[in-house]
Amino acid sequence: MDRLVERLDRLRGPVAPRNHNARTIAALTSNPGCARRGVLDAAGVNKGEIARHLGFPSGYGQSRFAIGRGNAFEAQVKADGCADLLHLLRERLGLSIPEVAYADLSTVGGNASREVRYARTRSLLARAAGDHDDAGTMFDHPMLRLEIAGYYAYLEPDLIAFRAGGRFYVVEIKSFPVIDGQADPAKVAAAARQAAVYVLAMRRLLAELGHPGDVVADEVVLVCPENFANRPTASLVDVRRQLSVLERQLGRITRLEAVLDALPETMTLDPAQPAGDVATSVRAIDASYTPDCLGTCEMAYFCRDECHGSTRALGRGVHDDLGGVDSVDTVLGLARGTRTPGVGQEEIASLLRFAHQLREECLS
Amino acid sequence: MSLLTALARAQAVEAGRAQPLTTVRHTYLSDRPLVLVPLALAGEAAAPLAAMVGDDEAAPTTLIVNNPRDRTQRFSFVAELAGIVLSYVNRRTRTVEPNPASRGTKMRYADAPQLLVPNAGGLEFIRLLGRSTRFRRTYGQFAVHRSVPQLGQWLTFFRDRADHAGSAMLLALTEVLAAHWATGQSNLEDASLAALLGWIDPAEGLDGPRAAALAEDPLLWPPAGPSTDPSFDNEILAPALTSGNPRSLETALRSQLEPTWGLMWRAVRLLRALPEGASVPVRWAADRDVFTAYQASIMDGAALPQPRVDSAVAAAGRLDRLEREQARYDAQRALDDPLVMAEFRLAGEAFAGTVVAADPKRRDTSGKRPVLRPHITVETSDPVQLDPGMTFVSPARPAQTATVVEVDLPLVVLELAGGMGRKLTADEGSIPGLGEAVTYGPATDAYQPPGRLPSRDATPWTHGGPPAEYVPSDTDAGEEWS
Amino acid sequence: MSDEHGGAIETLERRIDQLRRALRRAAAGGDRTLARALRGDLREAEQAWDEALAALESRCEPSAPAPRVASMLSIREQVHHALTLLTVPAAPKLIIAVHEAFFPGELVAARLTSLRRDEERSFRVAPFGRPYYLGPALAADLLSPARGLLAISTWPLAARIVGPLSPRVDFLISAIRVAKRIAALPIVEGAASRLLWRFAASIPGAGTGAVYPAKVIEAAEAELAVHAESDSAHRLAAAERAREVLDDTESLFGARLSSPRISHGSSRRTA
Repeated sequence: MDRLVERLDRLRGPVAPRNHNARTIAALTSNPGCARRGVLDAAGVNKGEIARHLGFPSGYGQSRFAIGRGNAFEAQVKADGCADLLHLLRERLGLSIPEVAYADLSTVGGNASREVRYARTRSLLARAAGDHDDAGTMFDHPMLRLEIAGYYAYLEPDLIAFRAGGRFYVVEIKSFPVIDGQADPAKVAAAARQAAVYVLAMRRLLAELGHPGDVVADEVVLVCPENFANRPTASLVDVRRQLSVLERQLGRITRLEAVLDALPETMTLDPAQPAGDVATSVRAIDASYTPDCLGTCEMAYFCRDECHGSTRALGRGVHDDLGGVDSVDTVLGLARGTRTPGVGQEEIASLLRFAHQLREECLS
Repeated sequence: MSLLTALARAQAVEAGRAQPLTTVRHTYLSDRPLVLVPLALAGEAAAPLAAMVGDDEAAPTTLIVNNPRDRTQRFSFVAELAGIVLSYVNRRTRTVEPNPASRGTKMRYADAPQLLVPNAGGLEFIRLLGRSTRFRRTYGQFAVHRSVPQLGQWLTFFRDRADHAGSAMLLALTEVLAAHWATGQSNLEDASLAALLGWIDPAEGLDGPRAAALAEDPLLWPPAGPSTDPSFDNEILAPALTSGNPRSLETALRSQLEPTWGLMWRAVRLLRALPEGASVPVRWAADRDVFTAYQASIMDGAALPQPRVDSAVAAAGRLDRLEREQARYDAQRALDDPLVMAEFRLAGEAFAGTVVAADPKRRDTSGKRPVLRPHITVETSDPVQLDPGMTFVSPARPAQTATVVEVDLPLVVLELAGGMGRKLTADEGSIPGLGEAVTYGPATDAYQPPGRLPSRDATPWTHGGPPAEYVPSDTDAGEEWS
Repeated sequence: MSDEHGGAIETLERRIDQLRRALRRAAAGGDRTLARALRGDLREAEQAWDEALAALESRCEPSAPAPRVASMLSIREQVHHALTLLTVPAAPKLIIAVHEAFFPGELVAARLTSLRRDEERSFRVAPFGRPYYLGPALAADLLSPARGLLAISTWPLAARIVGPLSPRVDFLISAIRVAKRIAALPIVEGAASRLLWRFAASIPGAGTGAVYPAKVIEAAEAELAVHAESDSAHRLAAAERAREVLDDTESLFGARLSSPRISHGSSRRTA
């Protein structure tokens, strides 16, 4: 592992690594086949800065209204000793009336350093898991951590709830609404992926303390506004699938060695280097671009440009419809009959010829 | 997604310009559509921020909410929008025509409203705005102007209709454009109206890719909404809202609305330039029937706000109906358009060939009276999958069904029925002759002579019985909207 | 005259447009220094535009909405009233809601943010110079200032210290105090009614739909009985410790970060 860390450090160049958070870790699972993203993320490279340097800025940013609304909703749910949240947790998790203890882990006696907060969180969770009398029920702004390629990523779930008799629940507070019982499925999926990262970090922490994994529930509590008001509602979301994908992906990080082995030892992505050199280095690492990257990865515009002329830039559906033939030129050549089909291309070639002929007939 | 569309996209990449997917326009386009470009405040469920709306490109109305979080101002916005939409709807009721299916005893409106929004986000905005307003009351503690729940019901009505394939009362123009042209980018990128139009109709001196690249810069082409660009929100909108100065807010929001307004009308012109498909008026007539019935129930006072969720029975019935409508819509388009028929041929669900043998006088004597049932044998090289009993229709003779009797590719024997006249010999030219080139495509109840009512199983929901035992309550009227 | 103005306005609008684009590019590109500079320029240009427009227009803008009644009292007096009604430490949001429900005059939220700092400064300048001070509640474990809570200095130490059960206990006590006050009102409407409803919504048995003060009191007291003893014990123990290790300033405003005495215990006594 140390050697891997060394190589990733060298690759990144003399800049500080980007801090991971649950969202970026969850994003590792969205395009598992992309070595470029895997390497860049593992090395903590600032992809946005590299993309800008290479002339393909991605213009990310979040509207302050969305952020403000999110913060306001969270503050409301946690106001007055988490009154609203407690009400929901009693309903959803069956907390008993005496279970109301609240611990604020956002600072430790005024000290807000991550390491100090992590240590305090760890000790309080240990006390809860040890089933002592004063186990505690709600842990607000806890600090967890997860090791990614030799670095600790510090993670801050919204809240952890502990139900007496043994179960920890990750609680995520999101401001997208649930209307008539339905929420935007893409947003729920993203929240589930993010929450799975917290569940994983909790399980590893408790394993270190000698507890079995299932002391952290597979289900997370998702708290959202209901309909068009600010009243919160809570649902239990099963994240087992997301957990297994995540664990698999994190396991694959060690296989980055093989990817790195294929690269020149001295290769670096230091943004202080001329753009042309950095671009060559980036291109040396294989990417797996799909249009979905445009919404999730800052390198997307660069990779899309690289893909010009490939059917992959047109989307997975189109790529598959074209029988997996990669080059647009090849597709058109097969369709026009000016190119001989390669091995395994006979079927798609004949379909393409037919399709081409039909289009010609209809449009002439 | 089909191979034909995929190939067209590849062709577009090479040509640097979008390629046609159809030879005709399959969607009805009104002479006077109502174009609506809504903007919503980020982070909220359905908080309107501004809108540009109108049926005349030169005279849009711009509506702004000075404080998007203020409930009173929200409802004023809705009331103003309601004024515009409801008067547009009412103008569509000025002329009536006899409903052919009722043999002249009943009338229906000769026109119907058509709302155009930029994209799928616009459809969702209408759904949420309809949902958040249709239960409001005009009296009591949370009273709103009476036009508010009226608008809510209409918006919900339009949004429900948009789920029906072939309906044209509410359209997202990105979807309509993408159904008629293939660009050289992915369908994800096609969701941007500016980029899509860049490929279809690039400006002077540009090609598709260059125009689409420019369209991706939010400073040149603001997003078509309802979401606004985050850098606009943070640098322009937030200060304008805090300043409380309505003038700077209005100029800021106009800068985000005007370009999209122009794009919408450009899209309308491009679509209008395409010849209309033969069955488009049939589908528009069905829309007018549904509109007539809904307007009647509104005027009767019989229309309750649509329930929040369908009952299980209603949901199942609705899905069934939607599926059949989709099949009918596909089959109609195939009859109207050889390029659509080509998709079916590629998929093995349609075929073209030549008549190599015919028995035009063949009769079926199994029933009480003999009936004329000619046979023809077609030779085809299409990759079609056929079984005896399958039925097909030819665009050249849409009133006639062809049933597969025997298959021995490349030969198919078809039995023909209908569209031949009433005698025991076929009318001249009513059946394909030896050597004739023929095409046969999917048959559902695809063919409808113009002026027929939609068949019973497509009965509008208003006639299918009252919507569940649902009564809007006090809670609905008082539902918070924050 | 108007032509000149019109020309100036057009120039300004063009400049504003340019600045906006440049600013958004800088912001999206992460260039914070440039963005800051551009923001300043943009603000100036917008102000000039406003003034030019105002000069051009002959009509007056309709006046701003009717001003709310300003309070004659200082902010600290207003907060003192609200906290005295509640008798327990409370967050600014609750303090504002209670003030809006029961006291005349507006309590401006923005002025609350610097209150704690101002109070501490005032104490240092002249310790015990005022009859009361508004300070934070103290966290039971480390005796540091608890986040987001205000309390009155004249309350017993145990009431100003919060243990793990205290947020819930204090919430229930607040509910009882508010409900009792409401029961004494001739008419319940608007802010008071909303406040009572919000308490009722998260206390089991307090009622849904129509909310009655008596029911809220009953339900809150029932749950309070479950936690009260345990909470008391925590608070009293913490207060003992605090008396041993905290000085005057600290027992009002919380232990400071770097204090080593907290973990080891010491014999410093308060006055």
